[in-house]
Amino acid sequence: MNTDDDVKQFVTGVVSLQKDPSRAVVIAISHDAVFDLKEEQEPKAPAAASGVLNPGPGFPFVKAVQRVNEKLVEKNPNETLLFDVILLSSKDRPKSQSEVANSIKHYGLEITRLCFCNNENFTSVLRSNKVKLFLSTNTDYITKAQDTGVPAALLYGQRGTATLDQLRVLFIGDSLGFSEDTTDRPKDEDTGEDQLQSVQLTQSSLEDLVALIGEMRRKFGRENSPLCACLMTVCSPRNVCVRALKRLRAWGLEVDEAFCLAGAPQSRLLAHIQPHILYDHGLQYTLDVPALS
Amino acid sequence: MSDMKEAESAGEEEKDWAEAKAFFDSLKSKKPRPPKPRYAVTIAVSSRTLFDMTSERKIFKQQGLEKYAVMSVNARLRALYPDSEELFDIVLMTNNHAQVGVRLINSINHYDLTIERFCMTGGKSPIGYLKAYMTNLYLSKDSKKVQEAIGEGIAAAIMFTPDMEVELSDTQLRVAFDGDAVLFSDESEIIVKQHGLDTFFEHEKRFENKPLAQGPLKCFLEALGKLQRKFYAKNERLNCPIRTYLVTARSAASSGARVLKTLRSWGLEIDEALFLAGAPKGPLLQKIRPHIFFDDQMFHIEGAMELGTISAHVPYGIGQKYNRGKLIEENPQKQ
Repeated sequence: MNTDDDVKQFVTGVVSLQKDPSRAVVIAISHDAVFDLKEEQEPKAPAAASGVLNPGPGFPFVKAVQRVNEKLVEKNPNETLLFDVILLSSKDRPKSQSEVANSIKHYGLEITRLCFCNNENFTSVLRSNKVKLFLSTNTDYITKAQDTGVPAALLYGQRGTATLDQLRVLFIGDSLGFSEDTTDRPKDEDTGEDQLQSVQLTQSSLEDLVALIGEMRRKFGRENSPLCACLMTVCSPRNVCVRALKRLRAWGLEVDEAFCLAGAPQSRLLAHIQPHILYDHGLQYTLDVPALS
Repeated sequence: MSDMKEAESAGEEEKDWAEAKAFFDSLKSKKPRPPKPRYAVTIAVSSRTLFDMTSERKIFKQQGLEKYAVMSVNARLRALYPDSEELFDIVLMTNNHAQVGVRLINSINHYDLTIERFCMTGGKSPIGYLKAYMTNLYLSKDSKKVQEAIGEGIAAAIMFTPDMEVELSDTQLRVAFDGDAVLFSDESEIIVKQHGLDTFFEHEKRFENKPLAQGPLKCFLEALGKLQRKFYAKNERLNCPIRTYLVTARSAASSGARVLKTLRSWGLEIDEALFLAGAPKGPLLQKIRPHIFFDDQMFHIEGAMELGTISAHVPYGIGQKYNRGKLIEENPQKQ
């Protein structure tokens, strides 16, 4: 399969940045998460213009990422550590391609590529594009990406409520904060060989990703940063949360906001935190978060 | 909130709760697990309230005593009702950045406090998070945040710690409340301030049977009452580890009846109602030795603190516009 044929380059016309492939943080996001492609049903809102799609749940994320890039370039015009957002699309919707291209231009989105993939080549497309993070509203795809070692996170948020001014990333820390020799570990944790391997595989790519985000975060001060990292532990005691904080710090990221729930209901808090993306390895601790209102 | 959403979120809560329960129950350490927020009496404290970081003195020791009393209540509740989630829960609510917050947790560990939940907002106002954590009472040293919380309908007060160290019970949690503008609205105080005491007495007699409107701390008293009734149900009334006091400047003869009738109409009990008829509150509080005393007027807070009572100011109502009975001059621009 010739990936060149499968990659459509976009000229965004707004900000056309040549992303340095060795430093860019490539984030792949499914195109039907960025735009609302429901043609079959009654559109929820009238289309912004003819041939242009309505924003989907991933739209605020893309805008927020763009702002981070703008601010990074403001600080250093030669900055190479930037986010690079690419869209993934399945081939069986050729009609929507031009709509996607129009919409990208219409909203001034900084998206450089649209890659086609299907169930079979999904993993290789991620690899060949050096994707560091995959985003979706589909939990099956997220698990699939994680199983092959690509960090994947859930797009959170209801249309229209997420902020565009600050990219908010939430890590669920219950599995990040475990340590072998403490009394805070459950007695009989039954981790299969496969699961362990998959955790280890994703762990090192997660470390890389966290280090890069941490490096970006450090370019801004504590206040008014366009990028905000949050940590939440759902059911673990406070020391697990602290260990997760320290682990992320050791990997290079200083988390801004931390929440230890110890069993308190998470949906209320999530609705208040309003992250754009939620990282939870294995999706063990996350409920079906509302990605579509 | 639609019914379906209620049912959904209740279902989600159950799931969160079941997971945490399973987790804590399976821990090697026999740490008591935090109670389910929907049923718990949740007290959110700011970092400065928990650790008076500006002072060298063992202010913390006093705060610690309060916590010991609270934990003692919890221990007795657990003994009587092993499966109940109706317990006290203390949450650290700070707008510190998470990296600073880690040091707070180290201190919590050092003092071995039973605080399992925390919220570090990284600079954002904690007010919105109070509801997410189902807070019944918010204590902070920041008056702006406390006012905001009260504005949002959350019982809140500004903590003050006295210079004197007073010995407090570590087996019975004692909570004292002022009446007007704390448990009740400030409607009667407005009459006193604007029309004088005589009008006030007449008014209270005439409306004796009309319940006063509720004040910012009413629901906290209610929450305490719920826990108290659990002890009463098991014949522990005489030995109840929670005791509540009303300490009011009203006099029993002329204006006390309305207060008691209001409480009764709300279905709330208070263990001791003390009518001072205008006498200073300090000496009486010194005798009672409550772990905390809530009042809306700084004058009373100061009086209480002078004699060693830990006090919390409730910045609510018309009392805020007055200082020692005199109207504070409004900024002419405001009018």
